[in-house]
Amino acid sequence: MKFHNLILPGRLAALLLALLPVASRGAGQLNLFGWSEYVPQPVLEGFTRETGIKVNFETYSSNEEMLAKLVAGGGRYDLVQPSDYTAEAMIRRKLLQPLDRARLTGLGNLAPEFTGRAHDPEGRYTVPYMSGSVGIVVNTEKVKTPVRGYRDVFQAAHRDRIVVVNDSRELVSWALYALGQPVNTVDAASLARVRPLLADWIKLVKVFDSDSPKTALLNGDVDLGVVWSGEAALLWRENRKFQYILPAEGAHQFVDVLAIPAGARNVAEAHRFIDYILRPEVSRQISAAFPYTNPNVAARRLLTPDELANPASYPSGGKLESFRDIGRAAADIDRLVTDLKSAK
Amino acid sequence: MAAPPPTLRFPAAGARLLQAGLRGWTGLVLLFLYLPVLVLVVYSFNSARLGVAWEGFSGRWYGELLHQTPLQRAALNSLIVATATTILSVVLGTLGAWLLHRYRFPGRDLIESLVNLPMVMPEILLGISLLVLFALAGVGLGFTTVIIGHVTFSFPFVLVAVRARLQGLDPALEEAARDLGATPWGAFRHVILPALRPAILAGGLMAFLLSWDELIVTYFTASAASATLPLKVFGMAKVGLNPVLNALSALFLLVTLAGVAFSASLRRGAR
Amino acid sequence: MTPAPVARDPGARPGTLAWLLLAPLLAWLALFVVVPALLLLGCSLGERDEFGQVLWGFSLENYARLLDPVYLRIFLRSLGFAALTTGLCLLIGYPVAYQIARAAPRVRELLLLLVMVPFWTSFLVRTYAWMAILREEGLLNALVAWLQPAWAPLGLLYTPAAVVTGLVYSYLPFLILPVYASVEKLDGALIEAAHDLGAGPWRVFPAVILPLTLPGIAAGVTLVFVPAVAMFAVTDLLGGARVPLIGNVIQNQFLQARDWPFGAALGVALLGLFLVSQLVLRALRPRGALRG
Repeated sequence: MKFHNLILPGRLAALLLALLPVASRGAGQLNLFGWSEYVPQPVLEGFTRETGIKVNFETYSSNEEMLAKLVAGGGRYDLVQPSDYTAEAMIRRKLLQPLDRARLTGLGNLAPEFTGRAHDPEGRYTVPYMSGSVGIVVNTEKVKTPVRGYRDVFQAAHRDRIVVVNDSRELVSWALYALGQPVNTVDAASLARVRPLLADWIKLVKVFDSDSPKTALLNGDVDLGVVWSGEAALLWRENRKFQYILPAEGAHQFVDVLAIPAGARNVAEAHRFIDYILRPEVSRQISAAFPYTNPNVAARRLLTPDELANPASYPSGGKLESFRDIGRAAADIDRLVTDLKSAK
Repeated sequence: MAAPPPTLRFPAAGARLLQAGLRGWTGLVLLFLYLPVLVLVVYSFNSARLGVAWEGFSGRWYGELLHQTPLQRAALNSLIVATATTILSVVLGTLGAWLLHRYRFPGRDLIESLVNLPMVMPEILLGISLLVLFALAGVGLGFTTVIIGHVTFSFPFVLVAVRARLQGLDPALEEAARDLGATPWGAFRHVILPALRPAILAGGLMAFLLSWDELIVTYFTASAASATLPLKVFGMAKVGLNPVLNALSALFLLVTLAGVAFSASLRRGAR
Repeated sequence: MTPAPVARDPGARPGTLAWLLLAPLLAWLALFVVVPALLLLGCSLGERDEFGQVLWGFSLENYARLLDPVYLRIFLRSLGFAALTTGLCLLIGYPVAYQIARAAPRVRELLLLLVMVPFWTSFLVRTYAWMAILREEGLLNALVAWLQPAWAPLGLLYTPAAVVTGLVYSYLPFLILPVYASVEKLDGALIEAAHDLGAGPWRVFPAVILPLTLPGIAAGVTLVFVPAVAMFAVTDLLGGARVPLIGNVIQNQFLQARDWPFGAALGVALLGLFLVSQLVLRALRPRGALRG
């Protein structure tokens, strides 16, 4: 019980603390900040194997979460995966740095409808990663009545059998679509208009889950829901009884992109990763694991007929629309939904 | 040797009933505590990937653990963080307890209250306020920030444990050491510290466990490279019940039980 | 030897060495406890700009928003859940702590460790195991269907009942351990004396045992109530994120609505509540030789 017993561990701890940050700042690193359920482990491993660059992968489950940590963490992320409307806001606020398109040889693989979109018309800051929609998934063994739109989902008959993504903006947009209102005009007036409808809808929902809405459907706790198309696609793969329908009133189409934050350190590594993703074989791997809509036409040619037939991955028809950035209104939406949820 | 254990005396018939009742109740509660644990151990051997149905016995999830390099890295990170946290918490907590107990100085009561603050502060607030601090100071998130967060909510536990023990110590001990010529420091090193060992061990163990299983403060103070095991598990668990996680937890359980058995046998030997 | 209750020595004045050693503690407290708390306070007085960044300033608008019935309702509901959880933990855990303290020394240690071991596995995995037990096609319903098919399936998952179950489960040991420590220190002779004076067991418990174990109860209640109020993970997983509690709302402000100043105000209000409750508990705790 000598004094040394305290001093030595103390010194060791200090040494440890001093060394660790240095160790993590080594050469050949990439700090990737992406959605939880979007970048398959084999893709990361393949990248590391080929380039020797170690990938530190951190995940988030909402755009706002990503923004909050990016702004607070300052420059520790080299690559992020925002949705289009979030990227739009980030570009305006100079949070992203322009890409060196010369280093991205695979850009030609992308389908033209996914490049040059409103959020980044010249494609200077972003590269499309995956696209998808938010639509209705139905367990056709349990639900026999036809479901064609949001109003069909939120019926008294389906009380406590519904799962939805836990995203306030999505919820509000569905109500706006159902009322025939423009989905990107969110102000006090439009929120007041959706309030009564949303109040009824929220009472019918059993589970709010943005991370894995498919779990509740697979476990039979719910019979239908409004979820991300990738989740619906995985459900369809598991069992064809899960059908995906694009709501007749209108649906949100999102394009998630890869972008480099302004304060990123490993810019060269980030570019290499983007180019790696643009390769058809790699992009195909991503589709196999997460069956969203692949913007890479060269990769699509490598997909199996089964994968292309998945109605959630490559839906036909439907009124698809992108979200635009709504700024401060995001806080108002959160207030509304919190209010309605807690009114139960 | 402790005082005689507390026993309520009951009229004979009632006594046996009550004793049986208490024992039964304890058994039920233990069953309740172990129910999910048993479930996860059983399911770690379920060959089915999704769903609740039992599809046959399989050890494949344990095999997959070996391939899960991100999990392994996260486990290593957790070990580093927990060890550093424990060391710093023990140093800070023991010294703090001794100084608060032994000395009188202006603001001592305020310091005591401040020490209790991280223990009562909800973790989300602690995490967020530290994030704000680090953001304003321009300090990037990483191992250092995670350890700082963990030590902040751990060391009060060590301090409280050691303090309680100090209060139970006979002050004559230190006086005797001083009378024999020791300096205050010498008295501390050779007399007090040994007497504090059980409390330091208990506090250190508590700090290690708190740090090991901590999620919320880490969530706000970690970076991708310094992600700890609970953070990684949170990310994985978000996408659905992953059987590999069951295997991992069952393994931890095994290691913990082995550790408990080992330390129990050590103590029995030492008596 | 039995440590005799010691009168508190007021203490000597610290020498230079003592001040040097006190410095790290003071520095740590100042830097990582006081400063973040002050920052939180400062943030709560600011505003959110168009993009979600904090505009530092002086505005009580966020505190005014707190008085909105929506948030007051959520505060009360969270306190209610936490109080229910604490009450249940007390009812369930006190007898267990008492029983463990009465056991033979070696059995005592074994029982304590048995109580703690489940909590050395991941909190999340345990919660997921509860989901597997409680859901419609889960284990509990399988049992119910086998025993009494008419009752099945019990829709337990994604209800407040499931949330309370999860909360009680998570915090039970935090109550058992401090209460056990208190009961263990009880001098059996006191109880014998009370019996000798003619008191029956139903008199001895509330009059002698309960008051003497109050410090343990107070500690246990604090360790359960405080974290339970701000808990959000259990609500989200076991409750289906249907009913927002204060922990959810705070988390939302920081990660979804990105209104940090309002989140900070909520946090400060929560902290204020706790500090008040701490003062109340401290006033209630018996002072003097039997402290702790």
